[in-house]
Amino acid sequence: MLQNLVKNVWVPMKPYYTQAYQEIWLGMGLMSLIVYKIRSADKRSKALKASSPAPAHGHH
Amino acid sequence: MNENLFASFATPTMMGLPIAVLVVMFPSILFPSPNRLINNRLISIQQWLIQLTSKQMLTIHNQKGRTWALMLMSLILFIGSTNLLGLLPHSFTPTTQLSMNLGMAIPLWAGTVITGFRHKTKASLAHFLPQGTPLPLIPMLVIIETISLFIQPMALAVRLTANITAGHLLIHLIGGATLALINISATTALITFMILVLLTILEFAVALIQAYVFTLLVSLYLHDNT
Repeated sequence: MLQNLVKNVWVPMKPYYTQAYQEIWLGMGLMSLIVYKIRSADKRSKALKASSPAPAHGHH
Repeated sequence: MNENLFASFATPTMMGLPIAVLVVMFPSILFPSPNRLINNRLISIQQWLIQLTSKQMLTIHNQKGRTWALMLMSLILFIGSTNLLGLLPHSFTPTTQLSMNLGMAIPLWAGTVITGFRHKTKASLAHFLPQGTPLPLIPMLVIIETISLFIQPMALAVRLTANITAGHLLIHLIGGATLALINISATTALITFMILVLLTILEFAVALIQAYVFTLLVSLYLHDNT
């Protein structure tokens, strides 16, 4: 199955993946960096909210 | 009613497992690629449409830009087919999710910008200052051009999300109103139903137009940078 995948996908797409789309791979790296930053910030804020038992705004 | 309105935008699950990936991969089944010289009618029509679109879209590009032909055609096919399939009742449209559209917009936009900086560095930097600006305005204009550059991927993603989501929400709302009005007043329900029919025709157009606009803008950004 892997050989089929290589023959049908990788061999015809090789010039694209290796040369034409280099900048798009870099763009995907940038996007994954952004996703990681957002996810870690969300996790940090959720952990902060969970660890502090007192409500943030107090009772009015 | 509010809960029901937004329920159709939730991640699709089957027996508790998220099948969003399967839903995203589904439209590719509808475009088979046989290796025959003469195909059946369906595939011939698809190939003719793809050739028509690609010819129209790639005329403005030079040789470097035409290496993106496969990417642009896949983009317009994917967005068009997912938008159109989303008009079926009870279906999930991946392009209503901002995460998906940002995932399409950011790499492609970054790809065009990095292409520009890599191959034509001076010309790419020159894009930050329009021709013929008076001297005192230059710093402010560079800031404005930088902001407008960084807003491009956001605008691409949010435009697609908002258009498709708004259309789907309107269809839900007006359909619900039609159903509710049937018992109250049949004439008003009929008028609302006419509005629903017109809206659905509009949504068909919007589905295709948004695909076209997305791809056209990416192609324009590419043209600037190659």
